[in-house]
Amino acid sequence: MKIKGFLQDVTGASRVTKARLGAFEAASAVPEATDPIADVVAQWHPKKFGVTVTAVRDASPTAKTIRFVRTDKEKLPFFYAGQFVVLDFKIGESVISRPYSISSAPFEAREDNGFFEITVRRSKGDGFIADYMNDSLKVGDTLTAMMGCGQFYYEPLRDAKHVVALAGGAGITPFASMAKEIAHGTLGCDLTILYGSVSADDIILKDELDALQSDKVHVVHVLSGDAPDWQGERGFLSAELIKKYAAPDTTYFICGPQAMYLYLQKELQKLGAPKRRIRFEVFGQAKDITQFNGYPQELKDKTFNLTVRRGIHEDVIPAKATESLVVALERAGIRIETACRSGACGFCRTKVLSGSVYICPENDGRRAADKDFGYVHACAAYPTSDLTIKIPIA
Amino acid sequence: MKYYKDHYDVIVIGGALAGLSSALMLAEKGKDVLVLERHNLPGGIATSFVRGGIEIEAALHEMMSIGEKGNRLKVGKFFDDMGVDIEWLKVPEAYHASLPGLEVTLHPGLETFSKEIDAVVPGTYRKVLDLLNLCSTVFDSVNELSIHPMSKAKMLLKHEAFVKTAGYTAKEVIDSFGLPKAAQDLLSPYWIYVGSGLSELPFTIYAVLMADYVGYGSFIPRKFSHEMSLKMAERAEEMGVQIEYRQHVEKILVKNGKAYGVRTANGDEIYADYVISSSYPNKVYTSMIEPASEVPSGAIKMVNGRRLSLTAFSVIMILDDTAERLGIKDYSVFRGDTMDTDVLYQNLAGLGPYRYLTCICHNLGNDTATPAGTCSYSITTLPRVDGWKTVKAEDYDRVKHEVAKQMIDDMSAYLGVNLLDHILEIVIETPMTVNRYTNAWNGCIYGYAHTMDDHIIARLQTAEAESFIKHLEFSGAHAISGDGMGPAVTNGRKAAKNVLDSMAREAVNQ
Repeated sequence: MKIKGFLQDVTGASRVTKARLGAFEAASAVPEATDPIADVVAQWHPKKFGVTVTAVRDASPTAKTIRFVRTDKEKLPFFYAGQFVVLDFKIGESVISRPYSISSAPFEAREDNGFFEITVRRSKGDGFIADYMNDSLKVGDTLTAMMGCGQFYYEPLRDAKHVVALAGGAGITPFASMAKEIAHGTLGCDLTILYGSVSADDIILKDELDALQSDKVHVVHVLSGDAPDWQGERGFLSAELIKKYAAPDTTYFICGPQAMYLYLQKELQKLGAPKRRIRFEVFGQAKDITQFNGYPQELKDKTFNLTVRRGIHEDVIPAKATESLVVALERAGIRIETACRSGACGFCRTKVLSGSVYICPENDGRRAADKDFGYVHACAAYPTSDLTIKIPIA
Repeated sequence: MKYYKDHYDVIVIGGALAGLSSALMLAEKGKDVLVLERHNLPGGIATSFVRGGIEIEAALHEMMSIGEKGNRLKVGKFFDDMGVDIEWLKVPEAYHASLPGLEVTLHPGLETFSKEIDAVVPGTYRKVLDLLNLCSTVFDSVNELSIHPMSKAKMLLKHEAFVKTAGYTAKEVIDSFGLPKAAQDLLSPYWIYVGSGLSELPFTIYAVLMADYVGYGSFIPRKFSHEMSLKMAERAEEMGVQIEYRQHVEKILVKNGKAYGVRTANGDEIYADYVISSSYPNKVYTSMIEPASEVPSGAIKMVNGRRLSLTAFSVIMILDDTAERLGIKDYSVFRGDTMDTDVLYQNLAGLGPYRYLTCICHNLGNDTATPAGTCSYSITTLPRVDGWKTVKAEDYDRVKHEVAKQMIDDMSAYLGVNLLDHILEIVIETPMTVNRYTNAWNGCIYGYAHTMDDHIIARLQTAEAESFIKHLEFSGAHAISGDGMGPAVTNGRKAAKNVLDSMAREAVNQ
């Protein structure tokens, strides 16, 4: 065979070898360590960083807004309005993480002296971290933060221009962030917030929200409790009420307590809203796992032995049947990284080497192949026998 | 607390396809291996994620070099030999090419492919088949020579086509067949992903890719790329490999020109006889070797003298209707307003509009890809890192949306359906996404470009001289075979083989 001529054809290998060595010889000997792509990533998704509380203020009679800045004075990362921050708390020997929707706007984080805020309501007895935030956290305290997290934000290529937010209780926070970003001219949708509360006293961030009312941002308070003097909307966020505020093409964003999710799934169905127009924030850790379909009721008072493998190290700790593996680990002072705590993000992906678990059906965000090999998201998995797991070294 | 053994035979940095292939092969030879992976799951880019309860393939996931059961090619055979049992689905077509005035679906099989080209460009059957047969001959030679090296004289005798085409570009060899432009166009798409237009691409690489892809077709795992990555990892653990996720290796420890361990971001110092790095040589030689004085200037000149290959920009959508009802007919469509790869290569240096798009409807190759009544549709282009390196953090979101919108609009026009009206979920993957999850240098997924001055034959010739630090091997897209998911496996095996050979040599010397 012949391509160009015998000699030229058979000397190809030495030609290309010479060319390669020639290219190296001509190259600079100065190390070039810059990676501009990684630099952009560091401004959007930095590693965890320290944050300091600079202000705490009341957001309602039962809620506080806490403002943070970066302890190292670096700029805070970019994020999308609606996303959450994961804060790490050191309590005794344990480090515990919690996700909080950010209630301030993305643009406020990037200005000089940029900050972000979260707004936390006192719990009714089920959230000791929430109470700690309300009662004990003070100006000057430092925590560790990771942001921005989560998928609950306006995506212009997917969502309708007209957004109706359905909020309940502390679920108002991501919408406060969106409303501020819209008012600032940096988020291109209009927003009608239907905000359900029991009484006027329960409304969080009322003054701030009311001040944002414009042709692009509407806030409608809806009270479900007895409120004799109330002039506004009443009842629940029913299909009938929602219909009054929806445009022909509307995307619904829903954030609030778990009972509201279950209710709104039905109401939105009545409205005939297509699936692609409905966006739920993650469900949150199940308040009472025994209430879910298929939970083995006979085990609910049991405590199992949980063997935890990290590298070649092993610990054995107790694990209650009604608490997730993550909670068992945190109680025992074993660090496990978590983010959404709703089984969606996979941050706490864990291998079950032996034993069995119950998975919260609302929070099963596992990959198909992971299911085949016994991987679980530990925040949504509850022990139903003694078991052995492997988690990352932290 | 003690999480690691005092010593390992080999530490592998990175638990993606290359690193896991290294680990599997070393474990099979009874070596004590530790894999440290920065992310919380294996696979690197060969992975999946879940959005809105739907699992979504993250990678352009066609695997080459697999082959049918009973007639496996080298990567498929490696998985079989290692006991990595993947449910492979054969992709139904090679590709549908969509060019101005030309729409044709081409199927694997050298003769079938040639006939299908002949049907739209009559009179080309013989020449196209001759070209494909030449590719096939070179492919066979490469496979044989990678196992049984031989002298140059013998090589010329036994592997004439391989030797005689080695010094030429793909364009030079294709031109020698005198094919009409339309036929050439149909033989050109796809291969730009290895990082060069055809006038710069070594024919050797073109031949191997063409013979493999057109000759044997491609395969995908039923449960996404994650099935493949996870099964490799699970099998490696079964064979005694210790894999630790969320462990970011910051430093490779070197003394007297020889690697002896690593240090992680957690501060753990871990020791081993050998280190295999999936981190790019650029990163290793500029910031990971400790002390930095152990880096010879030749290593810096080498990384500075090489051109990074391409990265990826993908718009991945879950649509709220079936492929059939949306009028999507092909598993993969390669659409361009030109198929002149040199022109396209220039176009890829910018930020769009990109003139060449690859679209995949996963459901047409995998009937369980998404829930009933929906389908998965991705639009991808493979830009050079150059353009994306100029994007500032404050412009990133706007630029990525503009580029994505353009690509969606282009394909909507092609399909006659406004895709924007059907999006259940959308994820835009950029070079930044690649960097975020894999730490790949400059977000580059394909290692170094295959070019005439970075030819695979030259890489093989000079490999030993480029082993700048003893007991440190490289395994990943940036290694000799370059990238694509199949070559990543080959690179991983090669790194393991180098370690095993070195162990054997040193055992003899002692």
